[in-house]
Amino acid sequence: MSAERGTGNRTDVLAAGWRTRLRWPRAWRSPLGILGAVIAVAWVLVAFTASWWVPFEPNAQVLPRLQEPGVDTLLGTDGTGRDIFSRLMTGATVTIPLALMLVVAAMVIGTVVGAVAGYFGRWIDETLMRITDLVMAFPTVILAMVVAASLGPSLFNAVIAAIVVSWPQYARVTRSLVLGLRGQNYVIAGRLLGRSPLKSLTVDILPNIVGPMLVLATLDIGAAILLLSGLSFLGLGAQPPTAEWGSMISSAIQNFDAWWLGVFPGLAILTVVAAFNFLGDALRDILDPTAEVARENQADRTSSATGAAA
Amino acid sequence: MNAPRRLAPLALGTAALFLLAGCSGGNSANTDDAEQSGGSLVIDTAFSIETTDPGHTYDPTGNMVAKALYETLVDFEGSDVTTPVPGLASWEQNDDATEFTFTLEDGRTFSDGSEITADDVVFSLQRIQGMVEAKPNFLLAGLTITKVDDSTVTIASETPLLQLPAILANPALGIVNADVVQENGGTTDGSDSAQGFLDGESAGSGPFVLDTLDLTSQVVLTKNPEYTGDEEPAYDRVVIRNVTESATQLINLQGGDTMVAMDLNGDQVEGLEDGFSVDSVPSGQTIFLLLNQSPDVAGDLANVDLSEAVRYALDYDALLELAGAGATQATGVIPTGFEGALEEGVTQDIDRAKEALEASGYDGQTLRLQFPNDYPVGGVEFTPLAERIQSQLAEIGLNVELAPAPFATELDAYVGGTEGFGLWFWGPDYADSANFLPFAPGLKVGLRAGWDAAANTEIADLAAAAASATDVDERTADFTAFAEAMQESGPFVPLIVPGRNIATADTVTGAVYNSVWDVDIAEITPAG
Repeated sequence: MSAERGTGNRTDVLAAGWRTRLRWPRAWRSPLGILGAVIAVAWVLVAFTASWWVPFEPNAQVLPRLQEPGVDTLLGTDGTGRDIFSRLMTGATVTIPLALMLVVAAMVIGTVVGAVAGYFGRWIDETLMRITDLVMAFPTVILAMVVAASLGPSLFNAVIAAIVVSWPQYARVTRSLVLGLRGQNYVIAGRLLGRSPLKSLTVDILPNIVGPMLVLATLDIGAAILLLSGLSFLGLGAQPPTAEWGSMISSAIQNFDAWWLGVFPGLAILTVVAAFNFLGDALRDILDPTAEVARENQADRTSSATGAAA
Repeated sequence: MNAPRRLAPLALGTAALFLLAGCSGGNSANTDDAEQSGGSLVIDTAFSIETTDPGHTYDPTGNMVAKALYETLVDFEGSDVTTPVPGLASWEQNDDATEFTFTLEDGRTFSDGSEITADDVVFSLQRIQGMVEAKPNFLLAGLTITKVDDSTVTIASETPLLQLPAILANPALGIVNADVVQENGGTTDGSDSAQGFLDGESAGSGPFVLDTLDLTSQVVLTKNPEYTGDEEPAYDRVVIRNVTESATQLINLQGGDTMVAMDLNGDQVEGLEDGFSVDSVPSGQTIFLLLNQSPDVAGDLANVDLSEAVRYALDYDALLELAGAGATQATGVIPTGFEGALEEGVTQDIDRAKEALEASGYDGQTLRLQFPNDYPVGGVEFTPLAERIQSQLAEIGLNVELAPAPFATELDAYVGGTEGFGLWFWGPDYADSANFLPFAPGLKVGLRAGWDAAANTEIADLAAAAASATDVDERTADFTAFAEAMQESGPFVPLIVPGRNIATADTVTGAVYNSVWDVDIAEITPAG
């Protein structure tokens, strides 16, 4: 009995080694990860192609006002007779690329600041981190509102405001990772070989922090979309007549009885934010080797347990 | 054995439901009373009221309440504000329209039973004249109020003032009981401190007396037992509630919580089914576009050709769609229903618009349309309106960019005359066409469009003639000529006169909109 189980386990381990190389990682195959990936890819596709195939011009006021969702207009029309479906799809072309752009910008700024602070330490660290604390001390939305309002309301300024409020978290995470890596033997060895701090950071350290940064960024896309839509909702982002989800919800308040004005942009925000969060979660599981091993082990234990029971 | 045990939680849940249902009735204002004779009337409105002292009030809700509590020398009938009719007094004017003699009606009393005399009239009006800071103070500026005998008062001004009767119909100029108010701090020398007293109880001769005032939630009025006028109220008690959301007003009206909803928008009243009636009338407000005539602001485009291009490029029917029930096209700077208003408004004429655009020297520039985006006028939101104007102007090749801002922010630019292209509104301070003369060059609104008196002396002269006319017919002709000239060569493009929709349950009747005091509550009676 016991010998049998022993050999069984050994073959399992061997097979598992092959499987991870040939198949998708197990975390990728979690239902939420797949769902998130599908929805996110769909929205990104919409964002880059919508202007080619929407049935109406997003700003064309050619339809009857406040028409309920139906055959002619899939999601109804708004208070000035514009097709909600067309506006919703075009809204993706506004929001999603901008959100991606702002997340990338915030990640680059935050990573550079955090890496410099963590690597050099001393007064550079103190200065940069206190500035980071300063920005983080204000509530995100309030600070973004202040920045957007002082720059003047426009979508571009809203993106700048969002970058201003979202880089500190990258700086903090990067700094802590760099602090940990700085003392590693291979980094010290690199420095003893005569690498400049820049080279040390890019060659020895950067590859090791890319994973966590990507996870953080993916998780942050949802927050960025929420922030942009929020600013537009408050009138500090997209200006009329631009089709943007936040401002569509904001104008839906004027026709409170027409439920379809606010529900669909709301659902759009919900789905895209949730999708990027799921995707980020899955990505974290993939890029975190310890979590992957733990998952594999647990999966093996359950399969062998069920196998033994059978 | 099993069944009762399963039923118990169900019963408990049902009981809780009933309890909740009972609680939800908490926001209704004693609807049971309505069933009794006399009963009570519930009105929902978004409050704009600061006090129930008529001497300090100048807000829509404040005027409505003052109209119920106090009476004025002059009155209007129903929603007609073109012809003043005698209220507490009848009047005669001299040939120059500089002196008006008011004779008080006999036998009229205040709510404490004392008679209304010329002393009360003189005190009430002089009290407001004394209070420099009071909002209605400007209505009586430059007037001399003199008592002749116990029932006669003269009011004199230095310049002809044909609009005086219309001014005196304002509820803010309601007559207060001089003895009572003087006992409670009322004076005519500006040191008046009676507002606190008048917020607690009323001292007038109107059909109602004040029961309680809560500036944030509700005003309660009760019937004036000593009322001697001809508008005997049908309800013993009136509750005016502050309901800021029009959607909530609609739900309250449909649910039977309230009988009159004052602030429903055009789309909401169109959705009302049987059992409700709606009085939709144009309000006194005008929404217009202004095109700045000052080269400092508008540069090369500081000319009236551009405003003509805009005027004829717009499809006014399509704009009216956004305004909903009751709204009409603005036929000129004087809205329909006022003396001298034009019969016909402009109709779209793309060819004419394009010619005018050519003449204006427009060369593809983008105009920034500035407007307040958080201040609907008569239920008309400015953002959709601006979006539609933008798309209509694009058809003649005029590029417009929208620049919305909160009212409080944008107001400075408008008043300071720094807006190149603006979307604003103008409402009369009292019911007379003289209120629309400020659109003339060199006057208040004209200057906001950078239009000084030298820019068009012809129109400036027309406005001056209308202001100093001494004969009513002559003045009407002057107003018409002024309005026509403004449409021909003014920098303004009048768009819409928004409607006011007073929605009532079929159990009541008589709620008629009046642009001065919204609704005369005493005219509302149970139906049938």
